[in-house]
Order: sequence, then structure tokens, then C-alpha cells
Amino acid sequence: MGETVTDTNDLAEQLLTNYNIMDPNFVREPFSKYDVIRESECPIAHTEQMGGSWLPTRYEDVVAIAQEYEVFTSREILVVPPAPGRQEGPYSNVAAPPITSDPPEHHWHRRLVLPIFSPQSVAKYEPVTKALCNSLVDEIIDKGVADAAGDYAQHIPVRVIATMLGVPLDMEEEFTSWVRGVLEQGMTDPEIRAQSSLKIISYFVEQLADRRKNPRPGDFISDLAKAEVEGQPVPDSYILGVCNLMLVAGVDTTWSAIGSSMWHMAQHPEHRKQLRENPDLWPTAIEELLRVYAPVTMARIVDRDIEFQGCPMKAGDRVLMAFPAANRDPRQFTNPDQVVLDRAHNRHVAFGSGIHRCAGSNLARLELRVALQTWLERIPEFELVNPDDVTWAGGQVRGPRRCMVQFPAAK
Amino acid sequence: MCAIAAPEIFGSDEIGNAIVLIEGDLPQDLEVKARRAEGNCPERAIVITE
Repeated sequence: MGETVTDTNDLAEQLLTNYNIMDPNFVREPFSKYDVIRESECPIAHTEQMGGSWLPTRYEDVVAIAQEYEVFTSREILVVPPAPGRQEGPYSNVAAPPITSDPPEHHWHRRLVLPIFSPQSVAKYEPVTKALCNSLVDEIIDKGVADAAGDYAQHIPVRVIATMLGVPLDMEEEFTSWVRGVLEQGMTDPEIRAQSSLKIISYFVEQLADRRKNPRPGDFISDLAKAEVEGQPVPDSYILGVCNLMLVAGVDTTWSAIGSSMWHMAQHPEHRKQLRENPDLWPTAIEELLRVYAPVTMARIVDRDIEFQGCPMKAGDRVLMAFPAANRDPRQFTNPDQVVLDRAHNRHVAFGSGIHRCAGSNLARLELRVALQTWLERIPEFELVNPDDVTWAGGQVRGPRRCMVQFPAAK
Repeated sequence: MCAIAAPEIFGSDEIGNAIVLIEGDLPQDLEVKARRAEGNCPERAIVITE
């Protein structure tokens, strides 16, 4: 008994003062760790690992940080420090606006992209998303076994984004590898991160040059190329940054949300049945899945020395907004670990909060819903081959990377 | 989110910002949907007054 208590105390101590969100244990199952921090006397943990950071876990604190954009700036938003040498590269002025922008520039940085992602604008991608999901199911339906992450979820957002950018779908493999280079391998290998970023930007330098020569009507990049702000054309660094953002924010994130939701559905026949019998549940079900499996954690850089909830934060400190932790705060959500498909009160922060609230949320919702609906229509019964064999990526973006499922093969 | 929970009451403008589509008092038959929109607004931007 005494030993167990010591072990638990050691674990709590380690989480509160020396957490490592990239640790394989943390990546596989972060929620119990967030619970330990959130319910301790010190719900904002601190670590010196991975360049040092603060980790608020309560809903109220995470939302307050997201709202206070003057104190908690978006100079850097990745959960680990930037790669060395990146600043001197040829495209060092290219970031990922508006997510990396602070006011006052943030205002026009965001205003120019919002119309692309309005509910009306993204609705036109529903048929294409549906066709794409169907073609992926076609590939696997007679096999009786498939990787719900690698054979399905992974291919959906990247192809939708390629469609929006007006680039060939066969860029999929390269886009995926570049994005994983930035957000997965890049989290622990700054060299890979810098190289992958450079590949993304170099690719769009060519695309932009092409659209300037041959503008295409209704094309995303062509439209940005002729956009003006206060009578001035927008700088190339902005256009390249937005294209960069489309990949880095639009691919890994949504694919992770789809993958986690597939992983959930594979283990919950009662939820599949509920959705089959009552399709009106889809809107709240999507929000609930986003709440419990919020994939993204974003960072902020503290602008000036402050004390926040008793924590002495210094200018330049990194603060990780653990949206997945906030979304399971029992102060905000009743039975937070339970998936309630018709949850009535659900102010989740899977898309963040405040001025940087995800610009692509309507597209993400659409992709998640169409991906799940299409799979469930065609493969209504399926289960995990082996729950212990599921692998996860985590840190900045958490989701399954291999998730084998089995089902009755179509004849 | 409000436009999904209560499309009769909320819509969005050309840049995706939420707007209220109805004028005057909330019709009684839309109250459940309005409450749902209120309870799901992540920015706490919806307040229903009696």
C-alpha cells in the first residue's frame, strides 16, 4: 500500500514539474495524466523538457490564455522551440498566417481567408469529399480488414485540401510526408522540421509563380494573388504562408480527428446503432467526438513577465494550451470522459477560442461527418483487430496512425 | 456552431461570422433549438433574455 502511494506521488510530481508531452506513454494515453495535473493543487504544470513550457489543464485557464492575445502572443505556436537555422533560410519571412499573426496584422490576415471557409463556401466540397470517401471504401470493402487510420482517415483531408488549392491529387503522398515532417518527426527532430517546411514553401513558390502567369478563375491561390489590402497587393510572404497553413493546419489535424473517431466507433456498437437509428444526432455527435478527441494543442509565447494563476511566467516562456485537457474538465462538462452523442451543453475548445479560433472549423466538421457517415453506411459493423496494436502520434496533434479494424468482407 | 444547432435563428455572413436571422421575440417553437445554440457557443456569444 505504502509503495503504491509513493509511486502515485512520484508520478504526480513528475507530471507537475517535469512532464514530457512527447513521451510515448503520454502520447498513448494523455487523459489520465491531464487529470492528475488538473485535479492537483497546481493545475498549471511546468517542465524544463523540450525547451521548457507551462501546461494549463483547466478549461477556464486555457480559455483565458486564448482570449488574452496581448499577453499570450502567437509569435510561435508550435509546442516545441523552432529549429535552429530556420530564421536564416531563404523564406524566413514566411510563417502561417493568420495563426502565427498578432494584431494589428492579424485582422486582415484572417479576414482574407475567412470567406474561403464560411459554411456556405465549404458546403460545395461535400460531394467531392463523399466521392473520395467512397473510393477509399471501395479499395478495402472486400478485404474484411483495413487500417482505419492509414487506409482511410489519412487520405481524406489531404485530398480535400489539394482540391481546394487546385493542385494535382497525386501530390498527396508528398504533402503528407512534409506535414508529418513538420508536426510529427519534426517535434523531436528540428532538422527534419526545417527541411519539411522548406519543401512546402518551395512548392508553393512555384505554384504562385504559375498562377501569376496563368490565373485560374475561382482558384484559391489565384484569388489571393490578386487580392488587395488598402489598395496594395498582399505580399507573397502572406500568400505562401496561407498555403503553408492550409497544409500544416488542415491535414494532420482533421485526419487525426477522423482517425480517433473511427477508433471510437470501432469499439462502440451502441453509438453506431444510435446514429443509424437517429441521424438527427449527427451535429451534436460530431461536436462530442471533437470534444473528447480534440487532436490539437497549440502554444503561446508570453509577452512580458506576469503572474498567471500564481505561476511566475517570464517574457518568452512557452505556454501550451492543452485543449484536450480543457475539454475533459469536470468543472465545465458533466461526466467528461463519457461520450454522450446528444450532449446538450458542449462549449468545447477543440478549435481553440478567441481571435485565433480555427478558421477551417466548418471544413473540418464537414470532413469528419462525411468520413464517418460514408464508412458507417457501407461498413456498419466493424471492430478493432487488436486494441493493443493501435499506434498514436501526439504532442502538437494527437491521433491514431495505425488502427487495424476487421469487418464482414463484401462478397 | 449556432447555425448548425438552430439554422432557423442563426446564419453566417460572407466571411463566416454568425448573424441573427430573425427579428423581435423568439418564437416559442424555436426555444429548444435556441437553448441548444446557447449551450454550445464556444465564445459565449449567445444570451437568451426573458
